[in-house]
Order: sequence, then C-alpha cells, then structure tokens
Amino acid sequence: MELEEVVSPQQIMKTAQGHALGNGGEHTVYPETEDEIARILTYASENGKSVSIIGGGTKRGFGGTKDSDDILLSLEKFAGVIEHVPGDMTVTVKPGTVMKDIQEFLAGHNQMISLDPEWPEYATIGGIVASNSSGPKRLKYGSARDHVIGMRVVYPDGRITRTGGKVVKNVAGYDMNKLFVGSMGTLGVISEITLKLRPLPKQEKLVLLSFSKENWEKLRPFTVSFLDSTIEPVSLELMNPALSKKLADIESYTLAVAFEDVESAVAFQENWLVENKPSEMNMTVMEKEEAVSFWKRFTELSPKDPSSSSDIRASVKTGSKNMDVFHLMVEADRLHHESGAAVYGHGGLGHGVAKMYIEGPEDKVITAVKSIRAKAEELGGYAVITHLPLAVRRQISVWGNQPSYFFLLSGIKKQADPEKILNTGRFVGGI
Amino acid sequence: MQLMRRKKKVSANQDHHIEAFFKIVGEKEVLFEDVDMLSYNCDGFTIHQHSPKAVVFPKNTREVAALVKYCAQNDLPFLARGAGTGLSGGATPLNNEVIISLVKMKGLLSVDYENRKAVVQPGYVNLHLTNSISSKGYYYAPDPSSQYVCTIGGNVAENAGGAHCLKYGVTTNHILGLEVVMPNGDIISIGEDGVPDSPGYDLLGLLTGSEGTLGVVTEITVRILKNPEMKQTVLAYFDQVEDGSRAVSDIISAGIVPAALEMMDQTAIEGVEEGSFPVGHPRDIAALLLIEVDGIAAGIDEQIEEILAVCRNNHVKEVKVAEDDAERGRWWANRKTGFGAMGAISPDYLVQDGVIPRSRLPEVLEQINEISRKYELRIANIFHAGDGNLHPLILFDSRNPGETQKAVDAGSACLKACSDAGGSITGEHGVGIEKIEEMRFIFSDEEIEAQTRIREVFNPGNLLNQGKLFPMPGRCLEVKKAVQ
Amino acid sequence: MSMAKDYTMEKQPACSTKSLSNYFPEDHPDPAKWDDCVHCGMCLEACPTYLETGQEQHSPRGRVHLIHAVAEGEIKMDQSFSDAVFTCLDCRACVTACPADVEVGGLIEEARGQIRRAEPLTGWKKAFSSTILEKLFPHTNRLNKVGGLLRFYQTSGLQSLTRKSGAMNLMPDHLSGMEAIMPNVGHPVREKYKNMPVIPAKGDEVKGRVAFMTGCIMDVMFSDINDATIDVLTHNGSEVVIPKNQTCCGALHVHAGDRDSGRKLAKQNIEAFSDSDTVVINSAGCGCALQEYPELFKDEPEWKEKAEEFSEKIQDISKYLYDTGYEKPQTEMKTRITYHDACHLAHGQGVREEPRQILRDIPGVEVVDMPNADTCCGSAGVYNLTNPDMANAVLDRKMENIPENLEMISMGNPGCMLQMAMGVQKYGRSERIVHTIQLLDWAYKKQKEEQRQLQTSGKG
Repeated sequence: MELEEVVSPQQIMKTAQGHALGNGGEHTVYPETEDEIARILTYASENGKSVSIIGGGTKRGFGGTKDSDDILLSLEKFAGVIEHVPGDMTVTVKPGTVMKDIQEFLAGHNQMISLDPEWPEYATIGGIVASNSSGPKRLKYGSARDHVIGMRVVYPDGRITRTGGKVVKNVAGYDMNKLFVGSMGTLGVISEITLKLRPLPKQEKLVLLSFSKENWEKLRPFTVSFLDSTIEPVSLELMNPALSKKLADIESYTLAVAFEDVESAVAFQENWLVENKPSEMNMTVMEKEEAVSFWKRFTELSPKDPSSSSDIRASVKTGSKNMDVFHLMVEADRLHHESGAAVYGHGGLGHGVAKMYIEGPEDKVITAVKSIRAKAEELGGYAVITHLPLAVRRQISVWGNQPSYFFLLSGIKKQADPEKILNTGRFVGGI
Repeated sequence: MQLMRRKKKVSANQDHHIEAFFKIVGEKEVLFEDVDMLSYNCDGFTIHQHSPKAVVFPKNTREVAALVKYCAQNDLPFLARGAGTGLSGGATPLNNEVIISLVKMKGLLSVDYENRKAVVQPGYVNLHLTNSISSKGYYYAPDPSSQYVCTIGGNVAENAGGAHCLKYGVTTNHILGLEVVMPNGDIISIGEDGVPDSPGYDLLGLLTGSEGTLGVVTEITVRILKNPEMKQTVLAYFDQVEDGSRAVSDIISAGIVPAALEMMDQTAIEGVEEGSFPVGHPRDIAALLLIEVDGIAAGIDEQIEEILAVCRNNHVKEVKVAEDDAERGRWWANRKTGFGAMGAISPDYLVQDGVIPRSRLPEVLEQINEISRKYELRIANIFHAGDGNLHPLILFDSRNPGETQKAVDAGSACLKACSDAGGSITGEHGVGIEKIEEMRFIFSDEEIEAQTRIREVFNPGNLLNQGKLFPMPGRCLEVKKAVQ
Repeated sequence: MSMAKDYTMEKQPACSTKSLSNYFPEDHPDPAKWDDCVHCGMCLEACPTYLETGQEQHSPRGRVHLIHAVAEGEIKMDQSFSDAVFTCLDCRACVTACPADVEVGGLIEEARGQIRRAEPLTGWKKAFSSTILEKLFPHTNRLNKVGGLLRFYQTSGLQSLTRKSGAMNLMPDHLSGMEAIMPNVGHPVREKYKNMPVIPAKGDEVKGRVAFMTGCIMDVMFSDINDATIDVLTHNGSEVVIPKNQTCCGALHVHAGDRDSGRKLAKQNIEAFSDSDTVVINSAGCGCALQEYPELFKDEPEWKEKAEEFSEKIQDISKYLYDTGYEKPQTEMKTRITYHDACHLAHGQGVREEPRQILRDIPGVEVVDMPNADTCCGSAGVYNLTNPDMANAVLDRKMENIPENLEMISMGNPGCMLQMAMGVQKYGRSERIVHTIQLLDWAYKKQKEEQRQLQTSGKG
C-alpha cells in the first residue's frame, strides 16, 4: 500500500531535503481529519515508516538528530475551533490551530487561554501543548499542563484514545493528559485539545523596574520582599541587561512585572510599587498597546527559522529553584560580555524557568550553551536546548543527562510506540 | 506505642512474613491480629470491607523500600495508606494486602519561603501545613473537606481537590517534586528541589492521582502560596435551585474567578443544620450558595458588589457578606463537615462525585431529583458548583434489606447522568473500587487498556493496590497478553 | 495479664453472613450510636491515642467500627477488642470533632460494661478496683478517715507514681503575698459544714439556693477548692446546701466498665438531690458523669426519667456563675495565666468560654492562649494509673503546648490538676496549678482584705 492510497495525493508533498534545522520528511502529509491522521499512522507503522510531526514549525530546531523521517506529518491544515461553551469556560480545538487565532476568537467572548507562549502568530496549540510551552505569566497561570483538561490522541498504530474530558475537574483513571503534554510528540499525535479558559483581565499593566549595574545587588532583597507582600503580579520576569536594552532600551537588570486584575486592584498594586521600590530603582509603566507591543516582541525572541548569516542562533531553557534565576541571569550577563556570543536572557523569579537566546559564531555559541548548562546543573537545575541547527545538535546533548528514572520514560515510550516510528530521537535520552 | 498488650506471639497459622516485617520496622510497628485487621478493612468508603494481612508502620523511606522489596520478592500484594479518609475505597485491601501505613512519616521536613516550597512526608496532615506557615503569611492551597485529618500523601494519590480549587487548581497543580518507592523497592526522585518541568514525560502529573497503583510516595515537595490580601465570603439563599444555578453561571460569565463557589440544596442544609456545626441556615430555602473571592483588597469590593447584583438578578431570597473571619470560619466549618453531618439525618450515606460542564447544572440536578424519586431514596446535594463538581449524597439505611444495593445503583445512575452530560464520574474522590464499573461510562476498553499499559511500566507484577481503578476488561486484556 | 477465654455467645451458622450480636443482651451497646458514624475519619486528629499510635483501633472511628463489629458477630470480645476499648481516654474530643454528633463516649462506656461483664477483673486491677472504686470512693466516711493527702496516697498506690511529682506543691497556698488569706488544707467541706443545713449567702440579696455536689477526691484532696467554691457562691448571693446522702458520682466506675456500681451510685445521688433545683459542681469529670446518668438506665425507664430530670439540674460552677452573674473583682491580681480545657468540661459539657471569661474579668490577670488547649492531658480519671505509658505520652504532648513565662495554669477538674502538676514537675517548670474558681475566690478575698486594711488605716 502506498501513502497515496491513504490520503488524497493533494495532501502529500514531496519535500526538499537538507533543512538546516532537520526534523523533515521525505514527504510532507497534510491530514485534515483525525481519521486521516489515524490512517497515515497505521500505514506508517505497518510499513515501518518513521514519522515526524510539525505544526507551525516554530520548534523545528528543538530536539532530534535526524535530517529527515519518511513522513513529515503537518497538522497545519487540521485547524479550527471545534467547540466553545462560554458558560463552561472551556474550548475544544484542533491541534493545528494557531494560538493567536484561538485567542482572537476567545477575546470576542471576553475569554482567553491564559498562556503566553513564544510566537503566538505561528505556533499551533498542538505544538505548544506537546512542548509544554510557557511564558513569563506562568507565575500566575502555570504552563500548558495546567490548562489542558482533555485530549484525543492517535497512537502510532492508529488507535485513538481520549484523555481527560471536557470538565475542569476530573480524576477518573490516570491523568493521561499529563503524559502527552510536553512529550514532544513521541507517544502519539494529538488530534484534539480541550483547554480551560479564564476571563480576559479587566485591566492590565506592565511595569519595568530596573537597577543600574552598580546597584543591582539591591534587586534581590527587593524581589524577596515583593514576593513576600500580598501583591499578586502575573509575571515577575528578570531580564539581563542585554535583553532589557534590546526590548526596552534600558541597559540594566530589569524586572518585567505585569498586573492583570480589576482596575482598582491594578492601580493599587502599581502604587504599591511606587511607594515601596528602592530609590535607586527606575520604574517605567506601560499601558495597553505599549504593553501588548512589549509582550509581542518578547514572544519573538526565540529563534524559529534557520539563521541567514554565518552566525548561528540557539535558545536554552533552564529550570532551577525560583531565586536561582538571579544567578543564571548573572551568568547570562557574564557570557554576553565574555563568551564572544550575544546572550539575552530572562527568567521568572517566582517560577524558576529561564530562557536564554544566544547568537554568534558556532564555537562561541556552543561554549556559551555549555556554560549555561554547567551553571544550571551546578545550581541543582538543568538546561534544555530548545533551538539549535541540526548540525550542532548532533554535537551537543539537547536534553542533558538522563534522569535516574529513565527506565520509566523509555518504558512509557515502548508501551506507546514499540516500533519507534514517532518523532523518534526528539526527546530525553534519544526517546 | 503498644498498649495493654501482652508480648505478641506469632501463632502457627501466622506466617514467617510477619517475622520478616518485625525485622524491618520493629515489632511494635506491625499489626496482624484479627481485631486490628478488622479496623483496617475499609477507608471512608465502607460498603466493601476486606481485612489486610498485616499493617506495618515504617518511619522512613528506607523502611518503606525494604518493606516493598520484601513484598515484591515474596509475591505479597501490598498497598499504601494515609489517614484512610478516601471516599472510593482506594485504601481497602481487596487481596489481603499488606498495608503500609504512612501515618508515622508525618514530618514537615523543610519550608523554603523564598522559593515558595515545602517538603513534607506523606503522612503529614494537609491542614497542618497551612497552620505551620500561616504565621508567615503563607498557605497550602488544596483544601479537601477532610483537610483536618487527611494526609498530603493521600492527597497526591487521589489528586485531591477542595473548595478552593476553582481558582487555585487541584493537588497536581501544586506538586513540585516526589520521592517514590517503586513497586520493586527502588527509590526514585522526581522534581528534586522543586525544580520545575523536569525533562522527560511528566511523571509528577502521572503519579498524582494514580490512586496508589504506580508507587509509594515517601516525600513530597509542594508549592506554597502567599495568603491573599483579603477574603470576602458571600452567603446567598435561593427559593429555587434554578435561580442558584443561574447565579453560578452569571458570576462566571461576569468574568469573576471566585476562590470558591459552593452550593447546597435543601436536604443538604437539613443535614448540616442537624450536625455539629449548624449556622442557622433557614430550612425552607431550596438552595444556598457560598461564594468566596480573594485577592488584592482594593479590587474585592467591586467584585462583591457584582456578585450581590448577580444574586439579586436571580431572585435571591437573602444574601449576606461574612462580617469577620469568625463568621466565615463558621460558614466553612458547616460546609466542610457536610458529608459527615449526613450521619445526623441518615444511618448511612453514599457520596458521589460526578463532574459536569457548569452550564448543564440545572438539567443534571433535575435528573438527580428523578433518580431520587425512582429509587425512593433521599439525595442531598453538596457541591463545588463553580467547577461543576457534584456531590450527590445518597441517604440510605443499610439495615433495610436491599437498600444498600439500591443506594449503589442510584449513585451509579447519578454518575451516568453526569457522563451523559459530557462530564466525568469523579472530580476528586477517585475511582478506587467504588467507581470501577462506572469507568465504562466514559472510557472504552481500549482507552482503559492504554492506561493499564502505563501501569505495567511502573507496576509490572501488579502487586501494588491491585484491583483498583480499572474494570475487568483491562485485566482480561492483561491476562490474554500473559497467556500469549 | 492473661485472657484466653472468650465469654461470648455462639455464632450463627456459617451460611449467614451476619450473625447475632456477641454482646450480652443486658445493657447492650446502643446501635443508634454507631449508626450515626459514617467512618469519615474527621475524629482522627482529635484523638490523643490515635495521634500517639497512628493506629485505627486506637481511634474513635476505629473503636466504633469494632464495637459495631462485635454486635454484628464479626469479632468476639477478646483481648484485642478490650485493648482498643480500654485505651480510650474517654476525653470526648472526638465528640467535638464529629460532624454527626456520634456519641463515642457513651458507646465506649457501654462496651466497657460488656467487657467487664464478660471478663471480670483479675490481678492487680481487681485489687485496685475493689480498693479504690468499691471500698473507698463511695464511702464518705472512709474517704474522710483516710483523710490527709499522704494517707490517701499510700492507700491508693498513687504514691509510687506521683512521688516527687510535685503533687504536694500544687496546694495553692503560696501565691506570693497571699499566704495570710489562704485556707488550711484538709478540712472537707462536708465535715466543716455538717451542722449547717444551709450556708447563708453573704450580703443582703439572696439570689437563690443551690445544692453543692462536693465530689469525693475534690473534698478530700482539694477541699480548699470546695471551700473557695462555697465562698464564691455565697459571695455572689447564693445559699448553699450540701445534701448529706450524696455520694461518689460513679464516673470512674462507669469508665472502668463497672456499670452496676455506677447505677447504684447514680440512684443514690438522684435521690439525695431530689429536693434541689440546681446542683453545682466544680469537678468537670463528675459534672459530666452526672449529666450522663440517663445513659445508665436504658433498661430502667422509670429511673431513666428521673435521671434525665436530674441531669438537667447539673451545672458546672463556671457556667452557673456565668449564667447567673457574678461580681467582677475590683482588685488587681497581677498574674500571667493560661487555661487548660478539661475534656469533660469542653468536650463533655461544651463549657469553654465561661471559665475564660471569669479569668479575664479579674483585673490584672493576663490570660495567654494555649495552643490545643482542649487536648487531653492524659489524666482521664484513673487512666494515668491503668495506662501510664499512654498517659505520659499524652501529657508530653500537652506540656509541649504550654506557653512560656506563666505563673499559673488554670483548669476546672481535679484529675487534670494532678496530672498537670506531674507534667510541670517532669518538665522542671514552675507554674502553679489552680482551679479557675480559686482565682476568683482569691481576688474576692484580696479585695476584702484591702478594704479591711483601708478601713483599719482609716480608723487609725
């Protein structure tokens, strides 16, 4: 049986090889229904074909050491809102739906998915969920795993399973949603996602708080007292001076503090900052459009396409104890000045996830990436490389060391995808 | 401590396993006599009762690992138990299990305010955590009604919810790390130091809510939160259930995210008012709502005004805001002891735990009414209306022949109504043994098998808490596989 | 101790899933009590013995479960069952915690009655029971003859346990600067007032007449507290009578499962107080037992009715004063104090606020909150003699909660006073153990003394 017998020939495209980010396919197939996904996967597993999954392509440089699989399964045409019940505050969407489209649709009902992932104009909800993306507002709202309440997933052998449901609270059976969120497409193809929603905030404001380099030690005690207050910021993201310069033209360590609440509460919190910030701290307040524009530029920091120059680009996500983000940002600043590569970094002081974007000659970028990993590991955390050209990914481990419980991860993969056809090699330990 | 007890003798009909447990945890920490076993024959779900083989009380992870290893090597079924307040029979030994009671591992190991986390042992009582950190202005968010007594280990096993999870999420949203003894006795640690998003599949998410079938949790790192600056609680009485339900939807539609949004119907009100914590709710109303908002004080009044307006638009009979913490405390004590209070108006009750999409509330409540009429049993409803989590309490008297079965059937019918409305059979109590058959309402055999295959990865011998969570077909498939 | 025999009824044939009760039909534990229990577990953290052991059979719901199981014929009244039932402190904290008002205390006492019926005491427990419960407490004369504290100690065997415990020190006769006004220890009020049919109220206004239940330990070991009680009552306008035929309340007998003796004593007390409308008592344990007399007469409707009538009359001294009003002292006492809720006052009678209010009403008394103030101290009647290990463990837990820098710990029960005195001694602390009513009495006396001195100096 040939692929053309499974889906219509118009849905299959012969693909150019040698994409600098790898993770391609001999053929790109564009399913438009769940059934087609199932048929394609059945075909693949029965014929020993390997499959790579792609949505908006913003994470093509994330994981994997293969130039190309047999089939590149693109979910780009499997898009749209399936069901939205405003009273239930839930939405069910197809995986190829672009984040921005969903948010715009929901905004019409004064609702939102409270996630602020990278590249919302391109990233699909399927990709966001599969990589468990999150942004600075994770502080208040959590990451993708906290929002997904139900899914349909096509297993590599074509069987379809449902996880969770359409209700916001559900403990029937194992929480299988969690298994697929962040699994990098290695266990199954997500064919439908139900997420819980929140009301659009009535008011939002962004406050940038910056310290000059000389005074920046005062930032930490200030942050501790800020976190210890009853103020409820939605983000408390620390940027290194290079990033602050790039985004706000302020070359110093800067805290991006966002408030989302009713008007009076936002005003109160802004005022609290005015009254409680140390005198050495500069404060810039951004209102609606200005704030939106800032956050938009923020989400576009991560490289998604191959570099057009001889320099290469990388992005790294670190996880650490919340306050260790300080040390990581200091390291980012040091590397920015000493490594020969430009290093832009930001991290959440209330949630422990930081991201660093590195640009420069290949060897310098590799050195910087390794330094970041070493620092993160020294702090008891980890570093995952979320973007690198294929050639470089083959030289450096994307996921770092295998955890002691790797046998569980490989066991789970083996149960779900015994033939190893799905996104193989894209995840921890080459799963 | 052993009390008034002569030196224990392991009689001839006891086996050498008991002696082995003595060696691991010490003689005082092993129970095996009939009467003692009888007191462990069920948890908060009493319809099925089976005695364990022994109950052992380890004091640390090492002892847990040694016990588990011994059980694994000797093919002894075993399970872990916390306070035993579960409502679905998750800790009931169906196969003469060795019960590993974790109640003596009840330490608060560390609190790290800067990084907003605390490390506890599994036997640590939920409310003790909040009590221990409240002086610094922090709390632990998941607050199941049994929080006065239930353990955080048990909360992890059941992915416990609570009244305030509408805004703050359930247990799984607050677990940062776990130390787990695997069913073969190996010790693993996930999310060490509370570092978020450990690379790899989300095992924290999978283990949380796995009802003790994947491993024995021996240490838990949880997120702690700063107390909101202000709380306000509204109590609203309605003459029509429909008005109350509509008020729930309208509050949510108004863009308010209450910290809690609870509802009780007339029968439930009768129960709590007969119970130990009455607050003087009128008996002639059809439903009440308990609504709590929290956050920045400057924004609370606005939200309260809006909530009051919504209630008035929905023909509220009486609505009031709690005067002070004491009054709020009384309202919550009245609500949180609601299940147990049913004992005051009925010899037995069966609590169900269905979930429905919020917008289907009125019709499902009507169906539950019909079920009540059909089975001729009173059903009280106490529930988390904000997230559609219903708790129909089916009142019955087990002394009447056949009535227990009738209650079980009525409960099942309630769950069917929930799943038919696009909901789930359990929102926070777990499947346990109680809702095994109802799993079929929402999952196909294949979907259940997909889950049992995951269990096989963790618990290949299926010695750990066997017979829970999944209906027989799952097991049939396993057997088939084994035969092949 | 040995206990091999089962004194239980034959089980039904095996074909029946539930056999007949393994209890004796007489004074059968009341099914209505366990029917209220839904095994929710809300009682667990309230139960001192569960906190200590972590074991279900030593928890309230576990005990109820087992008591029920005997009735269902699932288990017999064997040693393990007896352990579970007799390890209970009878502190009733579970009753406060229980959302469904399950009467665990009553159930435990009924089960103890069954166990004693099945297996009468042997060995030292029998000796103890017969010496103390049967031969001593119910007999005023003997108690009085035993008289002084030391002799009581020697006779009861308490001595070895409380030697060096500081029990001698707890006689509160040494509040600094107040020695002069302190009464002498050791004159039971029943002796002292035996020739006074009515002790008149002081002052002009007579509010009413109350009967005073003197208690047996109270009147011998703590007769100064009884004196204080009478003085406070008369100070506040009550006439006091001490009916002669009153006897031991029987609490200890009922706790120990000797319900027949309990009933005998109950009947005597009911008759002794038949002419009184209000019976005031200053011992929480006794007060609670008196209020629960109806429990003893399920099988004797006539007496049950009388017992119900009687139980309505019983009032703890603090509640009586709080309800009927008392004079707030005018003088400064200057002391830092905490209040311990006696189980049988807080959990047993729901009296929590009244004694605290009395303390707060005395000028200069700083009342410091004790965390878990209503957790048992481990005294529990004679529990500290029968289950010393557990009693000590419970006491340790209690002592951990006592705030620092206190001068006194106040409470409303003699058993607690002895136990807490032991705790203070054990932990090398210095707090004085006082009865709430004493403090009020001292304030009145100090006030009077000050007035007297003022008058004297005025004259001089």
